[in-house]
Amino acid sequence: MKKHKGGYFGKILHVDLNDSESSIENFDDDFASQYIGGRGIAVKLIWDNLKIHDHIDPLGPENMLVVAPGPLTGVYLPSSGKNSFAAISPATGLYGDSSMGGGFGVEIRQAGYDAITVVGKAAELSYLFIDDDNVSVIPCPELRGKGNLEAEGRIRENLSDHDVRVASIGIAGETLARFACVTSEWSRNAGRTGIGAVMGSKNLKAIAVRGHQDIPVSNMEDVINISEKAYKELGEHVMMGMWQRQGLMGVVDYANEMGILPTYNFRDTHWEKSKSINANVMLGNFKIGNTACFGCPMCCGNINLVKEGKWAGTVTEGPEYETAAMLGSNVGIDNFPGVLRANYLCDDFGLDTISTGNLIAAVIEGYEKDLLTLEDLDGKPISWGDEDRIMELIEQIAKAEGIGETIALGAKGVLAKWPQLKPIVVHVKGLEQSAYDCRGASSMALAYGTSDIGAHHTRAWTVGKELEAGADWSIEEKVDLVMYHQHIRSLFDMFGVCRLPWIELGFHEDFYAELYSAVTGNQYGLEELLKVSQNIYDMTRAINVKLGAKKADDYPPERTFVPIHSGPLAGKVCDKAEYETMLNLYYKKRGWDKNGNPDISC
Amino acid sequence: MRKRLVVIPEKCSGCRVCEIACSVHRQGVNNPKKARVRVTTVYPHPVVRMPIVCSQCKEAKCLAACPTDAIYSKDGVVMINEDECIGCHACVDACPFGAMYIHPDLDIPLKCDLCSNNSEPQCARMCPMGAIVYLPEHVFGQAHRLNNVLSYAHMKEIEYMEKGEPKKLHYADNNAAESFEEQQGGQNEKA
Repeated sequence: MKKHKGGYFGKILHVDLNDSESSIENFDDDFASQYIGGRGIAVKLIWDNLKIHDHIDPLGPENMLVVAPGPLTGVYLPSSGKNSFAAISPATGLYGDSSMGGGFGVEIRQAGYDAITVVGKAAELSYLFIDDDNVSVIPCPELRGKGNLEAEGRIRENLSDHDVRVASIGIAGETLARFACVTSEWSRNAGRTGIGAVMGSKNLKAIAVRGHQDIPVSNMEDVINISEKAYKELGEHVMMGMWQRQGLMGVVDYANEMGILPTYNFRDTHWEKSKSINANVMLGNFKIGNTACFGCPMCCGNINLVKEGKWAGTVTEGPEYETAAMLGSNVGIDNFPGVLRANYLCDDFGLDTISTGNLIAAVIEGYEKDLLTLEDLDGKPISWGDEDRIMELIEQIAKAEGIGETIALGAKGVLAKWPQLKPIVVHVKGLEQSAYDCRGASSMALAYGTSDIGAHHTRAWTVGKELEAGADWSIEEKVDLVMYHQHIRSLFDMFGVCRLPWIELGFHEDFYAELYSAVTGNQYGLEELLKVSQNIYDMTRAINVKLGAKKADDYPPERTFVPIHSGPLAGKVCDKAEYETMLNLYYKKRGWDKNGNPDISC
Repeated sequence: MRKRLVVIPEKCSGCRVCEIACSVHRQGVNNPKKARVRVTTVYPHPVVRMPIVCSQCKEAKCLAACPTDAIYSKDGVVMINEDECIGCHACVDACPFGAMYIHPDLDIPLKCDLCSNNSEPQCARMCPMGAIVYLPEHVFGQAHRLNNVLSYAHMKEIEYMEKGEPKKLHYADNNAAESFEEQQGGQNEKA
């Protein structure tokens, strides 16, 4: 057993909202080595909770919400501001998680916890306040119906502390929209898998945290040396200036040129109007500032302001690429202020911009193709780029009004009501696909199909690499790359750090093993850590199998098997037979049986 | 040559590298709450992120407020004599910028001393945005002066070609000076 001299407090805070009681569970070094932290600990805790309950309703009090930063969160190293939110997802009914940047996870660590769990349901709308060792559940019925921007400010006022860190839900979380997000620092979101609705189902408006403790580090001198070398390397990177200016908005032009930009509900993957929503437009007229998560030199957050026109006065942190694409090209909005307005509304209402843009696009296409009637649309027609109607829909979704009530149920709910939309709702396992088309790169189709949480790009983003270098790749190379991504990216979530220095600026993976070693005072190699990550992936799969996931759920959206309509990759399509071969090989390499069952069971 | 820390809030991204660098180097612990610099963020009306650093004031309010004369100024750096400090935090309250900090574990307030033994304070050295800079006092205000000069109302601009490349040149127009005098009733001429 490795003795850790840093990295962990060895404490998990359990909160039961049924009786407002909290307790501390201590864990040992073995537990830490086995699950590392963040997503790893979250999977373990949710696994344990599934042992107690035969059946878990994602929106029932028995569903456990886990909030977990990692052993590197808040440590002096580039981009250490990440934190995982996990639960059984109301969107998929399976394991779900989403990570949030900013400073919220750092504060949890400073309060002395490696993870927080919340079960039960508060008697009335409340927020949880964790003030180092003091934990209280504070009723806040006055915040019902308040947006994230106001709620966060009110809680800071209520606690008379401007620096307290708050993660809250908006109206969409309260109305249990299946893609409601959790928001901190006004616009940092744990966007995916509907964790906001899990909080809403618990009558939990927010979690506020204040901590003062030292984050334990074994060998400070090593951490300083390794990290300052890293800051220097990143600072001198030739792309760094571009990153600080554009953040992820630079991806709009890239995706368009590569032919992977979702356009008109993923029908097209290239948009002649993409120049109206790209980084240059943002830099020219809208950007007023940078934001960064804790310790991050890359400041990918863009603060934008609309100075004139219909949406004047709109301030939003964003968009980043996903939002610009999903609420821009995918719904046909070619007016940047319109994208900003939609982004602002989603942040304030607490809706995931990816799922929102995805489902609104499906509704527009459904109406265009006469799959939906005017009656289905509450008598109000909608078309591509119809800004007013799109803004109205976003509000209707958040408030579960009219057609919004159905859309708020997510891909599964939409298809239950309108099964005729099956060919055009782009999702996997009930999670709406994010903004990279995968028809030009079959490894990306495999990444979406096999992702544990559904069609989300951060589980394995292989599309860029395959399009750039993978023309001659064998099936095995593709499967290997997807698996490598699924493991290394899990590791980032387990450590509580951001993947962007690695994927975007080519920063080396070994750095993180080196740092984890310096922080814990034990020698760890990357291979060894990837093994832990693989084990977590098997556990997640076992959880999903217990919750009913089948091989049939491991396929990409139907649209993936329909040729791309236009653009540089026009005609490209994912081959069904090739996919089947890839999937079978993927199972085999993972040591799962031919139906995708791992040899452990939950 | 005395130097001071200067903050350019427009450049700050709110990443708090200054806080964490300060805490690991000066307190020897990984704890941004033990830093001698803090980033304060206001959003969304207005959007401001600003690291609050000590200005090392010449007539320091913290020094004046200290009941035990524990705060003193040496070579332009305002410092706390920890043996004399009684931890009453009158200085923290007195600082008009809120640039001194209290931590529950520490009796002595956290006060920036420009990393006394170093050539450059750690916060300025590590800031990835160049939002905290360490400058000699005599350049204070230079940027404003320069800006003022360049935006001088009568500045003219001409474009010309040099080796096939278009170039721009700015100059102050003498004629503008004459017309200014005319507007003033030609008083200078009379004089």
